[in-house]
Amino acid sequence: MTIGKICMIKDLKLALFLGYKSIINGHKSTIALMIFILSLAFVNLVFVASILNGITTTINKQIINNSVAHIVIDPQEEPTRNKYIVHTKELRQQIESLPGVVATVAHYKMVATLTYDKNKDGEFKYGTWEIIGVDPEKEPLVTGISNHIIAGRYLEGRGSGDIILGSDIAGDYGAMEEFRSLGGVKVGEKVKLNFGNGTARKYTVQGISKVRFALIDNIAYITAKEAKTILQIPDDRASQILVKIDKTGNEDWYIEKIKEMAPNLKVRKWTEYTSVAGDLTKSFDLISAIISLIGLSVAAVTIFILIYVNAINKRRQIGILKAIGIKENTIIISYILQALFYAIFGIILGLIIIFYFVEPYFINHPLSFPVGDITLTIKGFQVLQGVFGLLLAAFIAGLIPAWRAAKENILKAIWGA
Amino acid sequence: MSIDIEVKNLKKTYPGRVPTHALKGVTFDIKEGEFVAIMGKSGSGKSTLLHQLGLLDTPTEGALLINDIEVSKLKDHEKTLFRLQRLGYVFQEYALILELTAVENVLLPAFALNGSQRSYKERAIEMLDKVGLKERADHRPCELSGGEQQRVAIARALINNPKILFADEPMANLDTSSSKQILELFQKLNKELGQTIVMVTHEPDDQKYVDRVIWIKDGLIEKRSAS
Repeated sequence: MTIGKICMIKDLKLALFLGYKSIINGHKSTIALMIFILSLAFVNLVFVASILNGITTTINKQIINNSVAHIVIDPQEEPTRNKYIVHTKELRQQIESLPGVVATVAHYKMVATLTYDKNKDGEFKYGTWEIIGVDPEKEPLVTGISNHIIAGRYLEGRGSGDIILGSDIAGDYGAMEEFRSLGGVKVGEKVKLNFGNGTARKYTVQGISKVRFALIDNIAYITAKEAKTILQIPDDRASQILVKIDKTGNEDWYIEKIKEMAPNLKVRKWTEYTSVAGDLTKSFDLISAIISLIGLSVAAVTIFILIYVNAINKRRQIGILKAIGIKENTIIISYILQALFYAIFGIILGLIIIFYFVEPYFINHPLSFPVGDITLTIKGFQVLQGVFGLLLAAFIAGLIPAWRAAKENILKAIWGA
Repeated sequence: MSIDIEVKNLKKTYPGRVPTHALKGVTFDIKEGEFVAIMGKSGSGKSTLLHQLGLLDTPTEGALLINDIEVSKLKDHEKTLFRLQRLGYVFQEYALILELTAVENVLLPAFALNGSQRSYKERAIEMLDKVGLKERADHRPCELSGGEQQRVAIARALINNPKILFADEPMANLDTSSSKQILELFQKLNKELGQTIVMVTHEPDDQKYVDRVIWIKDGLIEKRSAS
């Protein structure tokens, strides 16, 4: 071992001794307060990021589970724009043969004006919404609308006169824009649909679906068979194919494979299809980063003030230590170690608060947002970011005041001249 | 007897709107094993001189040699190490670290020099025994009287076997009985261990304990007098 290393170990041991004694024999209430303040700073860092994660996670889950699954295949756009995907049966079979593909479904998309005479007095409420034709048997393998029927039942068999209304269409289910709804359609009642191609039909409401995400709760569902008769298309065509895979995050590989199978079709990942997800994730990531930076700065200033006040109060003692031959670096390290001690215990307390109090609370009492119920989504790397951020803040906030105090003239420090 | 301290035309000026010439050029030697008092009226420059000798301050001009090393030219970190290895310093006020016990205060310089507290705890207790405070080893400064605190400070100053012990009015805040104990302790250390001691005092009665007095007046040596 070199002399330099031996000196460094000696200095570190002494710094540890001084720091330890200062903490052990310091004012217990002050130490507890410092640790508590730092734990709050840490909780703040993790909590805000986790809430924002919770919102994006919920939106992502809603889109994947209840809207478009992982991959969306649309008809050809170039060189000519087609309205439908052809040979869907063959294509879906090919896609389903890929390892990791859970299922595929064909969707038949239309727009219709829904009309409802609530009081049977000739006064109609109406509005225009998206209508999707689905295969009632296959659809639950890909999207979860069948699990979110809050009144009545899901579509069955190939029934041609049945419809499922999204809760925001039906009304009376707490929609954000209730005034745009049909005003309270009940299961078993009839609504009239006027499709864009001029077809008009009456349907019996079999169920009301509500996933608590406005984009999805504004859609109505009819059977695929019925949709095809309205669109007047043969069996092997569809407006859209959705693909569900077993692992979110692997979409790109499947997209490549599907593009090889059908080069002319438009194949997109769910994030590209619903720009809301990507935009929100980016925005929340930015907000999270800004809030984290502010939180870290507040934590750093807090530690700085606490250590600075501590160092100023101990100015004379620092002078005495220097006078008896203790190196400046040893004194500085002892203050940094004290700051790190407060930060480490602040982090430990913060982790306890988050994982034993805050997270369980939000699991039992989720926040109700227009995109669904929000709980904390605590990401490991963000916790680590908070841990290292706070430790770095403690290091800097411990270093500066200790460095200033230790660099002071010995006599000035001792006599306060 | 070899020379421990050699002071040549030492000057100290404190800058300011009106610069203060605290030391105007003092020259003297202190031999190994001497017990010297620096005396003079308040503001005469005696504490300033001791601060220069103890390497707590840097002289404006002149040379200061301790054990033939020109210490006035050492860098700050070299001075720190020099103080730790060769000098002991006792302050006017009880300059102890409040969070440490008496024994921890005493062993601190040994810990800093050798990197171990355990192996020096015994020696620290031995030093406390020498100053009559072995029984108070585990007491913190706030639990000790002024005289006891000053004796702990003396034990701390001696733990690394310094060549020279500096004391800046160590009895200033003590009662007569405690002052006498400290002076007798210094005398004992000087006579029995041959410890070189340089002490600033303003008390004329203290002359009887020392070998020699260096009188300072207006930043200059006034006269030399053996007591």
